[in-house]
Formats: sequence, C-alpha cells, structure tokens
Amino acid sequence: MVKKDLSITFMGVKFPNPFCLSSSPVGNCYEMCAKAYREGWGGVVFKTIGPKHYVINEVSPRFDALTKESEPFIGFKNMEQIAEHPLEENLADLRRLKKEFPNNVLIASIMGSNEEDWEFLAKAVTEAGADMIELNFSCPQMTSHAMGSDVGSNPELCRKYCAAVRRSTHLPFMAKMTPNITDMCEPAIASIEGGADGISAINTIKSIINVDLDKKVGLPIVNGKSSISGYSGKAVKPVALRFIQQMRSHPKLKDAEISGIGGIETWEDAAEFILLGCKNLQVTTAIMQYGYRIVEDMKNGLEHYMEEQGVDHLEDLVGLANKNLIPAEELDRDYIVYPNINLDKCVGCGRCVISCFDGAHQAMEWDEEKRRPNCNHDKCVGCLLCGLVCPVGAISLGERVLKPTNKKPRNVNKIVLQDSMEKL
Amino acid sequence: MSKKYVDEYEKAYTPRLVMEEASRCLLCLDAPCSSACPAGTDPAKFIRSLRFKNVKGAAETVRINNALGAICARVCPTERYCQAGCSRSGIDKPIDIGGIQRYITDYEDALKMDTLEVKEANGKKVAVVGSGPAGLTSAAELAKLGYKVTIYEASNKAGGYLRFGIPEYRLPTEIVEKEIDRIVRLGVDIVLNTRVGEDITMDQLRKENDAVILAIGASKGKMLPMFLNNKKAVLAVDWLKKVKSKKGNIKVKENVLVIGGGDVAMDVVTSLKLLGCPHVTDVVYEQFSEFKASKKELMGAQEQGVTIIDGYVPVAARGGQVKFKHRVINAELKIKADLVILAVGQYVDANGVDVEIDRNEVKAEGVQVANTNVFFAGDIAHGEKTVVWAVRSAKEVAYRVNKFLGGK
Repeated sequence: MVKKDLSITFMGVKFPNPFCLSSSPVGNCYEMCAKAYREGWGGVVFKTIGPKHYVINEVSPRFDALTKESEPFIGFKNMEQIAEHPLEENLADLRRLKKEFPNNVLIASIMGSNEEDWEFLAKAVTEAGADMIELNFSCPQMTSHAMGSDVGSNPELCRKYCAAVRRSTHLPFMAKMTPNITDMCEPAIASIEGGADGISAINTIKSIINVDLDKKVGLPIVNGKSSISGYSGKAVKPVALRFIQQMRSHPKLKDAEISGIGGIETWEDAAEFILLGCKNLQVTTAIMQYGYRIVEDMKNGLEHYMEEQGVDHLEDLVGLANKNLIPAEELDRDYIVYPNINLDKCVGCGRCVISCFDGAHQAMEWDEEKRRPNCNHDKCVGCLLCGLVCPVGAISLGERVLKPTNKKPRNVNKIVLQDSMEKL
Repeated sequence: MSKKYVDEYEKAYTPRLVMEEASRCLLCLDAPCSSACPAGTDPAKFIRSLRFKNVKGAAETVRINNALGAICARVCPTERYCQAGCSRSGIDKPIDIGGIQRYITDYEDALKMDTLEVKEANGKKVAVVGSGPAGLTSAAELAKLGYKVTIYEASNKAGGYLRFGIPEYRLPTEIVEKEIDRIVRLGVDIVLNTRVGEDITMDQLRKENDAVILAIGASKGKMLPMFLNNKKAVLAVDWLKKVKSKKGNIKVKENVLVIGGGDVAMDVVTSLKLLGCPHVTDVVYEQFSEFKASKKELMGAQEQGVTIIDGYVPVAARGGQVKFKHRVINAELKIKADLVILAVGQYVDANGVDVEIDRNEVKAEGVQVANTNVFFAGDIAHGEKTVVWAVRSAKEVAYRVNKFLGGK
C-alpha cells in the first residue's frame, strides 16, 4: 500500500496536500467545505465574498455542458456569480471552519469594486481566521463592470487593488487571473508588484457553448435570452497550462508561486500542473460532476506517481517540465519519424487512410482486397496523425530518419520521442 | 493437449476497452454493487479509481478487501451479486464488473505490486485446516494482523477446489498459484500431504495453537446408489481433478452423459466440449426455470453445443445405459453413453476433525464450536457455497478469531 507525504508549502502555508476546492459553487457554505475537508481535500477556497452593497441575484437555470459523442461533460458553462449569502454569514462560516479544521487550509476569496471594498474585505476575512486570501480579479459573469474579469484584464487596477489588500492584511494572498486576455504576464506582474505573494490561474473562459436551434438563443435560456459566461472543465486544461507555462518562463515571474486551476479531474491532470510549476491545485467542475470523492484517487494516484518517480517530497516535482517547453523556432527540425503499423492489431477500418488523405499528405495507401494500410515513405512527412486517429492503437512511432537537408551526421537513436501515440 | 481447454475462455480487456466499460459505470451514490458483494471487494470504488486513471489504486482496493481478488474476478457468478444491483441495468445492461476486476488484478500482477502489509508479529499461532478459498483467505486475514498461521493440507498441492475443481479455461492454475504465493509472502506456512486425524490430530492442533480454523470444504462427490460399482460412471469432482491436473491432456470419449445441473455440471460439460468430445448430453433434475447453475456458465455450455435436457431423474443404470423419468409429466428417456459423469452434489468429509456435521454444515451457532478454540469457515459454515461466500465467511471468521484472542 503506497504511503507518500503529499504535504507542500505554498505561499508560506503548509498544506496537507495540494488539492483545494476553487472559489465557486462547490465551496458555498460551511457544510460543503466541512464535507470536502472530511473527504480529504487539503484546503478550500471559500466562494468569493463580495461587498455588502453588491446584491447577488442569480438566473435560473445557470449551467450548460458541452458534449461530444458519449462524453457527458467536455466543457461546462457557468453563469453563477459570487457568494449569495450575507457577509456576516460567510464570515461566521469561515470562523467555524478554521476552528473545526485547524490542520486544513482555509483560503478566503474576496472581490471588491473599489479600494475601500478591497481593504474592508481583506480585514474582515483576516479577522475571521482565514490562512490566506485570493483576490478574484477574474469572474467573467459579473453584473458589474467594476468587478471580475474587467479588473483582471487591466494591470493597473490589479496593482492598485493588490496594494490596497497589502495595506490591510498580514496574510499571504494570491491574485486570480482571467484567461480572457492575450498576455496574462502583465496583470500577474502588476499584481506581484502591488504586493501579491502568488498567482492563481486560470478563471473561466468567456464562452457561448451551445445555441438552441429552434429558439435561436444560447444555452442556458433565461426567459428567451442568454449571455456570454465562463467556460471550464477538461476542455480548458490546455489553455490553463499554456498561461501557466508563459508565466513560469517570464523572467519577472519565474519564481512566482502559482496555484493551478483548469480542468483538473485526475491525478494525471494534477501532476501536469505540478510539473509545469504549480505548488497548489484548485478544482471545481469535476467536483460538480462527480463529487468531492474524486480527491481520493487524485491523492492516491499522485502518491503512486511519486513512488514511481522515486520522489519523497511533492516539491521535488514542481516545475520539472518548464524547461522542456521552448519556442517553436528552437525545436529540432532535422528528422522525421515514420509510423509503424502493427498489422496484427489492425482491424481494417481505414480511418488512418481517410485522415492521411484528407488531413495530411496522402501517404497512407490502402490494400482494398486485404483492407490493410501501408505507409508510403516517399510521401509521408511523419506527422503521425494516423497514430492519433487509429482506434486500436496499432500505429506507433517507428523508423527515424534524418532529413536530406541535414548536413551534420547524427545518431538518430538519441532522439527523444514520446512513448506512444495512443490516447487512452 | 487441448488449447481450447487451457486458454482462458473469456477474453481479457485491453486498456482502451476496459476504460470504455468503466465509462459506462454511473458512479452511483451508495452504490448497489458494493453493497451486494458478499466479500466486500467494493467494486464501486475500484471502478471509480480506474475511471479516474488510478489503476494502481484500484488494484490496492481489490487486494486489501479480497486476498483472492484475481480468482474471484474470474469465477464469481457476478450476475447474482454485484451486477444484480447495477443501476446501469436501468439503461441497458450491467457493468462487466468481473471483467474489470480481472483487468485490474492482471495489471497488479504485471507490475508485481505487493499491496498487503503484515502487522508486527503478536506471538499468537493459528492453524487452518484446508487450503481452499476459505482456508487461504482466513490465513491471509490473520497473517495481516500479525498472527503466525499454518495451513494443513491433505493433498500434495495447495488450493483445494480452486486448484483441482474449477477448470483451466475458467481459472488457470497459474492464477491460483500466484494468489497462494501472495499469501505465503505474508508469512503463512502451508504444510502439504498432512491429513488432520491421520497425520496430525485435532487435539494436537488445538493444543499447539491459540485457535484452529476448519476450512475443509465439501470436497467429496456424491454417488447415486444405482451407479455403485459401475465401471462406466465417474464422479464429477474426480473427473475435473484429473483433467485439470493433466492440463487437459486426456483422451475424451465420443459420447458422454452428464447428470446434474449445477455449476460443477456446467464445468464438466463445457470442459468436455473444449476437449473435443463430439456428443455431450446433460440431463438435469431441475427444470430450466429453477436451474442452479449460473446463467453465464449455462450459456457457456449452450454456446459450446451441449445438449441439455431438463426435468428428468435417473431411475436405473446398467453400464453406460441410463433410464430417466420426467419429474412431472409422463415421459421416459433412455441414453446410452461411453461414460457417465455424476455431478449431483458434494459432501463434507469431517473424519478426524471432531465436529458434528448436519446437512453439510457444522452443527453450531455462529462460526465457533462452543467452548473450544475451534472455528469454521467456507462450505461447512452457514451460507452460499461459492468462492465469494467462502471469502466472506473467512473474513468473518478471521475477525472473530482475532476478537477471541484479544485482538482489536
């Protein structure tokens, strides 16, 4: 039975494990957060607490899901805003959570509309006993343009509000970034300069995920209309990882502490965020779909991964992949890898032939009699689209050859390739 | 040698296909599959682990809950237990839980995972009589708790019915041996060729150990009086043992009659077909609506082309010629075969173990012989007579023994 220590220190606070609820519907009250702690989450980011003057009034229904074939949730759209409970009630919940779960980490998420709001909220949650604070600069579905992602896409506002919070608390705090921006480094740097101790990324992506074809309106339908709002879930993971990598490779942010958010469902997703430099992880959509219990397999799976990697401290895995992501112009372009077709595995569907002709370089030939493919190396460019579409994993990375343009002799066996094209 | 008999009949899942199957799981609240597993293997949890890409965690769950996880995966009549409650049946058909469990335990084996841990030795000794599923499981459970466990087995090899009864195509000997090895690695000693009552006495076991667990099983085949001294008639358990010991390397007759309709009978008829017997006729006392065999085994036999005749009782036999009468309607049946195999039940041979047996179960309340340090598990305990129930019974007995000896 594997037993590894998953504890990790993030922004000076020790977490029993890196897994946290993110500020969202999944951490909306004492009962929810208490259950999450009991089921094994290291920390919770309590649903964003706003100023008293901002009244929450939500629509119904407020979610929708993007599906593909038999997958029920590829991506998820959410129109809910910040915590709807009164400020006093939220603060009372924070106090009770900290008292009853002193060994778990309690993070208060706050959002104001001006400096006074930010100062007031930072003081209030500090007094309530939070261990750290997250500044929500990024909710894309607020009904006020002085709040949410409109703030996060403006570096000067980020700087100003971080400075306001810095003046008002001794607690470590992070600024939560919006992906609805070209360059996340700008607001992230401004936030750090304003006094933030770390960055969390990403919040949801502005989206329209489905349109009702009869009523001609986006989903969910709110009395015949809909709005652009935040998109999350597995589908946004690649976007999140990209922003995190860009921040980690920026000279001004390379040492910034990052809490990773975006489509984490399994220990493998978690490990990817860690390898790209996150010391902390936040989850919502997978919890909404499957429940807090998913943390069991994220923790146990991560422990097994640590065991396989021969690592005793999770910290030792943080950022190991950052250096292996380099600009496109620096990649090795001297060789081609041809597909290797295992004809014993092949079931003769011809999907590789279709994709190669219609989406690549017409190199996959087809024996109509035997219903089997054959790769013509004269045409093949080694893109391996065939390997990605093969439904039985019969196509792997095969022979490597140097391109004729390559002048220097090289040992092709030293080229580092991925293990497989198969997606399970 | 018949390749059909030695190759596993059910095809193993590939990683892609097992994920497809696991994706059909509805990940239920208060999952009925887990409540229905007699052994407490917790399928809901291991399927969820697989679904969330934690195959090693899934293997840990199976192994911690069931020391015979790889065996149960193959032989459990899941349609009666975990799959009977599966919520997916409300959409189409239940999740193939046995197949998924087999994938997980194969993965565990391929990675040579060693999940089970042994607590510090507590200095107490337990003897287990019999090395079938109940004996092996109770030994494993107590070894995990720090007991020094010794299994006494009358035969020259461990495993009982797992090794000598269930045919190779359903449960390869290699799988049984690996499960036994795992239990031996926990520090359990297995003493072979030692029959209690002959080579060692019960008194001796009771004195030399803090507790004794009887897990002797119903290993003897029942004979019908009309077949006594009939050279063309053999008992199913003996025939299955011979075939499995020889890895299917036997010559089968052309025309074989089997009498019986339980899982053992299905094992016999299907083995015969896989070994190349052209004419296999099975005559069954029960009518189809009241059949005892698991549906899966019955379907397997039918797929192989076995002729199954239901509702008939044998009334007379002379050599290979047997006369039957229908139980209800006025009908007679005469079959002449080269060999008759009787699969009409088994009984417990309790000679030498000093317990009173009534209708194949120990006559006692609970799982302990009153005022002694003797416990019993498996076939001879109250309950269903399947491997998974033997595991359940053994877990219960291990818990009771531990309590009896002052453990927590």
